[in-house]
Amino acid sequence: MQVHDTNRHRRDSSLLALACLVLQIALAPNLALANGHINFALVFCAVISLTVGGSWGVLCGFVAGLVFDLCTTGPVGLMAFLLTVASFVMGMESRNRLQDDSSAAMILFFIVCFGVCFAYNLAMLLVGQASSVVDVLFLRSLPTFLLTSLTFLPFAYVRSRGSLRLLGLGAQARRHGGRRGLRKR
Amino acid sequence: MPDLRRSDSDSGARLFVVLLALSLVMFTMSARENGSGPFTAVRGGFMTVTTPIRYVGSMLTVPFQGIGNVVGNLTAGQETLSDLRGQNERLQAENARLREEAQAAGRLQDLLKLQSSYDLQSTAARIIAASTDSWSRTVVIDKGTSSGFAVGMPVTDSTGVIGQIVECGATSSTVRLLGDENSSVSAMIQSSRAHGVLTGSADGTLRLTLISADQSVSVGDSVVTSGLGGVYPKGLPIGRVLSVNKSEGDLYYSIVVEPLSSTESFEEVLVITSLTEGQKASADDIAAADAQDASVVSEAAPPADETDAGPKDAAGTTAASSAT
Repeated sequence: MQVHDTNRHRRDSSLLALACLVLQIALAPNLALANGHINFALVFCAVISLTVGGSWGVLCGFVAGLVFDLCTTGPVGLMAFLLTVASFVMGMESRNRLQDDSSAAMILFFIVCFGVCFAYNLAMLLVGQASSVVDVLFLRSLPTFLLTSLTFLPFAYVRSRGSLRLLGLGAQARRHGGRRGLRKR
Repeated sequence: MPDLRRSDSDSGARLFVVLLALSLVMFTMSARENGSGPFTAVRGGFMTVTTPIRYVGSMLTVPFQGIGNVVGNLTAGQETLSDLRGQNERLQAENARLREEAQAAGRLQDLLKLQSSYDLQSTAARIIAASTDSWSRTVVIDKGTSSGFAVGMPVTDSTGVIGQIVECGATSSTVRLLGDENSSVSAMIQSSRAHGVLTGSADGTLRLTLISADQSVSVGDSVVTSGLGGVYPKGLPIGRVLSVNKSEGDLYYSIVVEPLSSTESFEEVLVITSLTEGQKASADDIAAADAQDASVVSEAAPPADETDAGPKDAAGTTAASSAT
């Protein structure tokens, strides 16, 4: 039986959002590698997109990006744009994965993560905030990518073993009816 | 058999297009804002609401900030220790000399007190958070517009200038540090009074630019604010010259400056809320800076101009006198 438990999705997403918000504001500024900081908004967006996906994933990506933009001194809307695209792409890709394939989900996240980090910094370069592509790539994009990727791993692990069991990242979710295994129609 | 595929209506494509357009509109409008507007106000409100979380985050990470130093001390070699001992002896000698000079300065200060007009009008604040993103070098301080702060006010710590307020909420403000790529401060070499512009860079080093090659600059010279531009008070210490380079044919030195101050969490800072007339650059300072620029321009002029102006001695005398 598939159980459609939208409220549970939203409750779990809200808890994860709150945790990521606190970490983004309290922890991210104090952990740095070169000029790179952890992007918890991207982590949140990825977890939701790879597990719930769909409209909810896209909406969460947009809101997470917007909050990230408000935390920074950069233009508002840039990270919202990128995370909206990222969540849509991850949602679509995970939707098309029929087999239990955690490694594919991880690879997808790494690609999207690097794309978001590089595109964000490249956009900042294009609006005149820097003068060197080398700085953008090696001092900002790569460190941010590394830190965010490392941060994503424990989130993915915890979620894949969580009570929801609706992940595209975990084996059990697939066995119990795929990513939408807890939905009822 | 369970249905592993979503229906097309749940892919979020429609919402995706709407949010994409919305974010693009927001990005365009935000990029066009210049210090004030709805997005700036929302960001200020967001900063105010999240200030307690930033405060707690900084407080929790304070114990870990010394780990790097502890590791460095444990792995310090014999050579490092002997260097430190030598440095300690030099500092003790310098300290004794400075004590003598401080007593002399104290006596002179009493005499100068009557005519002293150097009044640094400032308010104390405390750093509660560092930059959230990888793009900027900023810190957040725990006071804002409710304490009379405004965008553009310079910020110092006990050793010298650290930056300038770029965003101001009700109870917190964002300070752009000198090392930020977008930071630029009018500065000068204290000994030679050579004027230049101190800029930050991506790797955090400070570079003093526009110091013409005919000026006198050496390693160890103090760099202070020049007061040009009217933002920073004149004479506030910034750092020391770490290296001076000049390639053949260059009009300007390439100078790297080591900042005096470092921004740690919970460090007290002073926000300078207004400048007195004595703290602004005087007409003589502005004239000196102009003369420095004029000398660079005259150096850069092609030799053909001199021949066009007439005989070398007569033309040279005229050009030099007009430049100075």
